[in-house]
Amino acid sequence: MRNQGRVAYGYLTPALLVLGGLLAYPIYQLVLISLFDYGQEQVSGGAPLTFLGLGNYRTLLGQQQFWTVLGQTVGFAAVCVVGSLLVGTALAILCTRVRTWARMVLFLAALGAWSTPAVAGSTIWLFLFDANFGFVNEVLGTTGFSWTFDKWTAFGLVAAQVIWCSFPFVMVTLYAGIKAIPTEVLEAAALDGASTARTAVSVTLPLLKPLLIVVTIQSIIWDFKVFTQIYVMTNGGGIAGRNLVLNVYAYQQAFAASEYGLGAAIGVVMTAVLLAITVFYLRALKRQGEVL
Amino acid sequence: MRRGVLESITVVIAGVVAFPLFWMVLSAFKPEDEVISADPRPWTLRPSLDSFTRALTVQSFGRYFVNSVVVALIVVALSLLISFLAATALTRFRFRSRTTLLIMLLVVQMVPVEALTVPLFFLMRSVGDAVPWFGLNHLGSLVLVHLAFSLPFAIWMLRGFVAAVPVELEEAATLDGASRFRFLWQVLFPLVAPGLVATSVLSFIHAWNDFLFAKTFIISAAENQTLPLALQVFVKPDQNDWGAIMAGSTLMTIPVLVFFVLVQRNLVSGLAGAVKG
Amino acid sequence: MRLKRFVAVLGVGAVVACAPVQSGPSSSGADEKTGQLRVWLFDEVNRGPKEAVVKDAIAEFESAHSGVTVDVQYIQVQTRAERFKAAFSDPKSAPDVAEFGNTDLAGYVSAGGFSDLDLSKWGESKDLVPTVLDTAKVDGKVYGVPWFVGVRALYYRTDVFAELGIQPPKTLDEIAPIARRIRQAKPDMLGISAGGKYLFAALPFIWAQGGDIAKSDGGKFTSTVDSEQAKAGVAKYAELVKDDICPPAQCAGNGGDASVEGFRTGKAAMTIGGDFNRKSVDASAAAGKYGVVPLPGKTEGSIAPAFAGGNLLGVLKGTQRKSLSTEFVQLLASKKYQQKMYAAMGNLPTFSDVQQQVAESDKFLEPFTATLKSGTKFVPVTPSWAKIEAQAVLPTMIQEVVTGAKDVNAATKTAADAMNAAFAS
Repeated sequence: MRNQGRVAYGYLTPALLVLGGLLAYPIYQLVLISLFDYGQEQVSGGAPLTFLGLGNYRTLLGQQQFWTVLGQTVGFAAVCVVGSLLVGTALAILCTRVRTWARMVLFLAALGAWSTPAVAGSTIWLFLFDANFGFVNEVLGTTGFSWTFDKWTAFGLVAAQVIWCSFPFVMVTLYAGIKAIPTEVLEAAALDGASTARTAVSVTLPLLKPLLIVVTIQSIIWDFKVFTQIYVMTNGGGIAGRNLVLNVYAYQQAFAASEYGLGAAIGVVMTAVLLAITVFYLRALKRQGEVL
Repeated sequence: MRRGVLESITVVIAGVVAFPLFWMVLSAFKPEDEVISADPRPWTLRPSLDSFTRALTVQSFGRYFVNSVVVALIVVALSLLISFLAATALTRFRFRSRTTLLIMLLVVQMVPVEALTVPLFFLMRSVGDAVPWFGLNHLGSLVLVHLAFSLPFAIWMLRGFVAAVPVELEEAATLDGASRFRFLWQVLFPLVAPGLVATSVLSFIHAWNDFLFAKTFIISAAENQTLPLALQVFVKPDQNDWGAIMAGSTLMTIPVLVFFVLVQRNLVSGLAGAVKG
Repeated sequence: MRLKRFVAVLGVGAVVACAPVQSGPSSSGADEKTGQLRVWLFDEVNRGPKEAVVKDAIAEFESAHSGVTVDVQYIQVQTRAERFKAAFSDPKSAPDVAEFGNTDLAGYVSAGGFSDLDLSKWGESKDLVPTVLDTAKVDGKVYGVPWFVGVRALYYRTDVFAELGIQPPKTLDEIAPIARRIRQAKPDMLGISAGGKYLFAALPFIWAQGGDIAKSDGGKFTSTVDSEQAKAGVAKYAELVKDDICPPAQCAGNGGDASVEGFRTGKAAMTIGGDFNRKSVDASAAAGKYGVVPLPGKTEGSIAPAFAGGNLLGVLKGTQRKSLSTEFVQLLASKKYQQKMYAAMGNLPTFSDVQQQVAESDKFLEPFTATLKSGTKFVPVTPSWAKIEAQAVLPTMIQEVVTGAKDVNAATKTAADAMNAAFAS
């Protein structure tokens, strides 16, 4: 047992070194920075460091805009998570019902969406929905309509883009999961006279549950931190910042203005919120008798 | 529902999903006056390579392309090696703090990358003082951060594959007198190859698509910029060169797509494995 | 494994450090005479001619200095704050020479980004307009060579005005009714292309009302953007970004470049543009059918105080090639190349003799020189200004008013609070 541990740590050393040096240490620095008044002058050594303790956090929580943005972020992430889960699950099920060629066509399209770099993807969508030259307005006969001006159409457009590039992960994973269910199980259910819908609900779904949980957590983590899409598509957070989400807010309000301490505090708060959401979700599952 | 109907629906959905990509490629091939037209058409009768020419020649696109490939490949190679060892340790051995480590892998993924740019910036600056190649303004700095950010997910994913290899195999190998080291590289490594491939795709995408770090770390060295930044050249204060942007995006998306399609089968089993483990 | 060893080094560093990093951007002391000069210039509307002039200058410079190459990158004005900040934070990776706006000077110098220049050995420097050279000074030291003076005036479409039988506005109050009338007659056209983020177009409206955005009291600034006069100016400007003149859906997100672009596409009857925009307008749909008048003030015959903009060329502190960089700055900002830039872009030169010479030969410059003569104003000269600009405090204020998210009172109050917070820090 002791020997096992030693070998295990031997194998883990490279990973621990990289993660420790390049992830854990910066995270530690991030927390540290969030406790200081740390602006451009402090960075360049022109002004002494002042320890603020929780000062940055107090400033942040006292900002009305922070709460608005936090609410927007949660709502936006929720729409994206639910959207990509629904679309991904539905299409995964669809994939099991069609012949290989049709599935390949859908997979190819989905992999295309998945592999498009966020910057390029956002730009393409922006171009498709351009007020004057966009194909969507041409088809809808609404030339001149600006999708990115109104707060809600802008959010909707970005959410659609995010779902577009994140549902393939859900779809591919769940499809693989369904495929991994032994056919005998499904056949047995069919022999018992269960309808297709019954089989789906009482046999397939429970078997897929662990998989769904992981997919959901990953989606929450990704969608809560959306940055590129909002930054590119709403030009840095929309008119008067009304399309801000936390990540972009941190970037705009804090890093652009060199309030690194405050920006770091937002980062820490975001991590805490994400952790809280995940823990809450896992505990809710546990109460239902599920284990990860 | 009939299979035929379902298949038609599938194809229609695939069409909708692929449409933005179709539009990208189409716009890349359209002549300049058709790209920005008040009357956009979903086809072109005069395909032209002008946009590609502009994208490839005006700025040193080739250079950026090579930079992106180099960074992504090094990240893939290193992250495969490191995550394979780590995943083996995490599945094949029981030791204290194993669960803690697993949870940490999930937690570090929750920290917003953007917030970490500032500490990482200063870290890379210090690294640069010791080893210039890994400092700011150099591709090495990008390799390091992408490696760090792709590892947690890679380890998480490979775990399932390693777990799927029967323990009896290891016992048999040990009985045959194979050293732990030989077992690792000659038995286990080939067996989890599909998982390694799936992991490599995701690491590749991670490094390939990055915009933020390339923008922050490559301060003034134009020769060390990567592809996503090259695209920004065509975003202009007056009228964006949409044709060139679309041509550039096309060129940027193709390698990933090819990679993806090649390993599609492994990816499917890979993701399922990751999740089951 | 090399990587391993070096990550281990990092690990040691982690233990040692217990406070966030601090550093002084120090000058390297080295002064190499060969190698590559990295230059940052601003990207702008219709950049081609600017690039051509710069290429000429580089060719001349490279042929005069063997073993020297010059690499120019055109950076976006919008994202300049992050670019420069990154460069200042790692002097080793910074460019050697950069173009920057005079409003950023105070902030950049206090961040220790630029090195002061000794222009005494440069013969042409004595002809620089003294007030213009002042915009390159902090505490008496010169940190850049003024490359051009940027002053804005009112561009209008002569054909549209003639067709409707109207005259260019004579007072600030006339602009909105005229713009409204044009849009009524020509619904496809913007009465005036005025952007919600176009601060330098909005400022003259505030100044013309006798207001200002801040006042200095012995070097300590306080915001006055919520004063009655300033509020009147903000309201006047916001009136332009309305559906009956310049619909917010199209205009609220626009800054200066996008506003001028609206005029260039021929879809706007007026805009507020700079001398530096002139050549790009000549190469656009509005070519040959536009005129320029000074932006009128409150009363007939008066001119609204304009923002005294302009860009400087400076040498960054971290450069390894200070002499070469200074020489390159002096070449690109020389009379010869300023004249070329004038011909290429319309940029108003910073040398008094060159200025006079071009003004005499070119009637086009009249409205701009008239505006300059009638008095210009500037943004608060304090390092805090960089922060206020980076936070987009004032553009956000204008956007809030034009979209109706807040009324003028509330929006200016929020902006004033944000400015005061920046001044205090």
